[in-house]
Amino acid sequence: MKKGLRWKILLTLAVLAISLIVAYPIQKKIKLGLDLKGGMHLVLQVLSEDAVTMETDQEILRLQELFKKNNITVSGIAKDAPGKFTIQGFNPDQEGQVKDQLDQYLRDWEYSFTGTSVKVSYKTAAMTAIKDSAVEQSVETIRNRVDQFGVAEPIIQRYGREQLIVELPGVDNPERVQNIIKTAALLEWKLVRSGPAPDEATLLKDYAGKVPDDMEIVQVSPKARAIEGGSHFLLNRVATVTGKDLRMVRRTVDEWNNPAVSFGLKADGARRFEALTGENIGRRLAIVLDGKVQSAPVINARIGDQGVIQGHFTIEDATDLVIVLKAGALPAGIKTLENRTIGPSLGADSVRSGLLAGLIAVLSVMVFMVVYYKLSGVNAIVALLLNLVIMFGALSYFRATLTLPGIAGIILGIGMAVDANVLIFERIREESALGKSILNSISLGFSRAFSAIFDSNLTTIISAVFLFQFGTGPIKGYAITLIISLVANLFTAVFVSHLIFDVTHGKNTKKLSI
Amino acid sequence: MPLELFKTPHLKFMKFKYAALAFTLLIMLAGAVNIFFGKGLHLGVDFGGGTLIRVTFKDQIPVSSIRDSLKKVGLGNSTIQETGKGGHEFMIRTMQVIQTASAQEELEAHAKLADRVIAALKDNDGQAETQRGLVDLNGIDRAGLATLLDSAFPGEGAALAARVLETRNAEDLVLTGTSRIPGVLADWSDLQNNGVRPDVIKVLQDKTYLGKLAILSRETVGPQAGADLRKKATLAVIWSLIGMLIYIAVRFKLAYGVSAILTLTQDVLLSLAIFSFTNREINLPVIAALLTIVGYSINDTIVTFDRVRENLKIMRKDSLETVMNTSINQMLGRTVITTGTVFLTVLALFLFGGQVINDFAFVMLIGSIEGVYSTVFLSCPVVLFWQRLFPPKRGFRK
Repeated sequence: MKKGLRWKILLTLAVLAISLIVAYPIQKKIKLGLDLKGGMHLVLQVLSEDAVTMETDQEILRLQELFKKNNITVSGIAKDAPGKFTIQGFNPDQEGQVKDQLDQYLRDWEYSFTGTSVKVSYKTAAMTAIKDSAVEQSVETIRNRVDQFGVAEPIIQRYGREQLIVELPGVDNPERVQNIIKTAALLEWKLVRSGPAPDEATLLKDYAGKVPDDMEIVQVSPKARAIEGGSHFLLNRVATVTGKDLRMVRRTVDEWNNPAVSFGLKADGARRFEALTGENIGRRLAIVLDGKVQSAPVINARIGDQGVIQGHFTIEDATDLVIVLKAGALPAGIKTLENRTIGPSLGADSVRSGLLAGLIAVLSVMVFMVVYYKLSGVNAIVALLLNLVIMFGALSYFRATLTLPGIAGIILGIGMAVDANVLIFERIREESALGKSILNSISLGFSRAFSAIFDSNLTTIISAVFLFQFGTGPIKGYAITLIISLVANLFTAVFVSHLIFDVTHGKNTKKLSI
Repeated sequence: MPLELFKTPHLKFMKFKYAALAFTLLIMLAGAVNIFFGKGLHLGVDFGGGTLIRVTFKDQIPVSSIRDSLKKVGLGNSTIQETGKGGHEFMIRTMQVIQTASAQEELEAHAKLADRVIAALKDNDGQAETQRGLVDLNGIDRAGLATLLDSAFPGEGAALAARVLETRNAEDLVLTGTSRIPGVLADWSDLQNNGVRPDVIKVLQDKTYLGKLAILSRETVGPQAGADLRKKATLAVIWSLIGMLIYIAVRFKLAYGVSAILTLTQDVLLSLAIFSFTNREINLPVIAALLTIVGYSINDTIVTFDRVRENLKIMRKDSLETVMNTSINQMLGRTVITTGTVFLTVLALFLFGGQVINDFAFVMLIGSIEGVYSTVFLSCPVVLFWQRLFPPKRGFRK
């Protein structure tokens, strides 16, 4: 045997061995996409403007306090848009003081004076930073929630400026999961000033029909209406304690054995909670979740750092509430752009059919190759099988996901692999027909067919790379298998197939079986 | 002697260049007329937005009866497609266009529409059972079933639930080997015949009921996401075409690159025209199929160009047209064999590949045939026409 051949054989066997090792055991190594495995695919948009609005509101509140403290009188501060507000009617003598306050405390804002009012707006960079961090925080929060809920191998990633892709394999209860992901989970404890009442008018009787500045009207969650005895409460606008003060939450049952959530507060929050409950024994304290009163128990005694939230929950409700409270509140609203839920049976059906079709396809191609090209056909089959092994090895190595369009990519790859062999064999036949010797025909067949194989594979690789770059999920899955297959093809159909000819055909070979 | 389908033939393909061009233009024109003024192009849920539900019934049900139940809730114009499995499995796409103030409301409206479709299909099925506190075993999720079984068999819930759900999705039963409709439990005996313990079945019979249908998948795509996917797919296709043009122009000549791209464009347009005529919907997998066709077609075209490139060096006295004709003839055997094997592969996919991949396989079937036509009759003539329009300064041959 020629010396060069030995190295080529070793290289081929090494590639084969590495691919097999990397891809074994195949059920564990190849990740199936949601279309094959079943699960949930969501495209979400973070309404990052919400975060800006919230920030603006807080800034206005802070400014009002600052002005009060420094005896600056203004007729009002009005929000114009998220990230924009106007301070109206300040005393012209205090213009300098107003400026000082703005310079000192509102560094991320820019302002312009006109007469006795100031227009204040966020600097662009600061606004972008707030939006950006809202999206980042949302990714983190949603990841925490999904982890708590217990999904194996979830994918949660940013996609563009304010979109997220969430992929949850094996999830088969879309509504529940979507609720867990999208709930804002803003939990507040607010003192009840009046209520419950069936409507707003009744609540406002004592206040001349107008909501006082430091109060607000909050609706009762539909489930709790019958038990609380009304649908509206008048509450303190400012929450004494919020979800941020939570130290721990756990699912539990209340004294009537109904599912409930117990909580513990951090030291700081506990102090405030204790003061509030101590001063207001006999009054009601509303527990507000995402702007809906869950329950409003009467304060019977001073409460320290622990308590129970009753909300007339089901077990699932209570479990989910614990999940979202543990993970924390979302900084902004979330909107669903796309929601695909594939059941496990449809995915299994696709895999089954895909495998069957693939098998029939590969077998029929093999039969044809052997019938048409005889022993050389066997050579092509070996190359084809090696190509498939490399494909699965590479898929495992890159941790790529196999999707339905990905299977299509493999099939195109098989087609191109067979084509490369056909090109070579036809060329060998041509050269042989011209009366060239066996070894010469083989050698010329490979070298002359090479440019066509190389160009056609490379052209397709180029297009697949662009598809990978610009395409979305399924198209990406298609591009990745196609690229792997074509690269493997240049190795198997040209290098390995040639090697097999070299090994099986020597100077003494009398007949070319092609 | 080698087995040969073709002795290198001597057909005068180039003679038909005008006829081929006219034929192509005619079909494309007809397609364009049909797309813009006739049936139009049906965008699937991926690109057009809306809701697509796949559902399987435990009993056979005719399409007409499904349509009737949908008509009752004002959704009679939904597309209903039976998908194999002898009258059990259906794909329902709601066509109702909802005009709302914002995109978000529209998505939610679509999601609600899906609920309405499912409610209409269920048609009061299981109401009595639900009132008695039973849950639908054909609709319950894994976690729910595990909790339910855990109360009766502490610690075993998850494993038992897995076994039950595996039976629900099985194609045939372990003990009896009988085949069944996957995705839905039609009868309690299925559980027994798949080796679920009798005491477990007893508990299930007490606490659950077998609803008449199971939802296999539901997909809702909002208008914004649909537009986004459309844009991304278009960009991806255009960029990859440009990439190929540049490569071929560098490796061959600009004329060949242009011809390859024109050939491909005609492959895609022709497929779209056929889609329009056959009322099929365009989805992401269909785009993948179109790209695959483009891949094969470019492969065929390049192989032919490669031979032209080689023959131009050998046949120094002949005209470009003759060289092209010889090259096409020399490559004909290979083109037909390759396409034949591809056709075999795709036919397997089309026949056995299952519903989800069916549209994909259909495009591939027509595309693989069409690719041969475009390679043989179009790619070379276009180079010829281009070089006549823009004669290169050197190396030009008539």
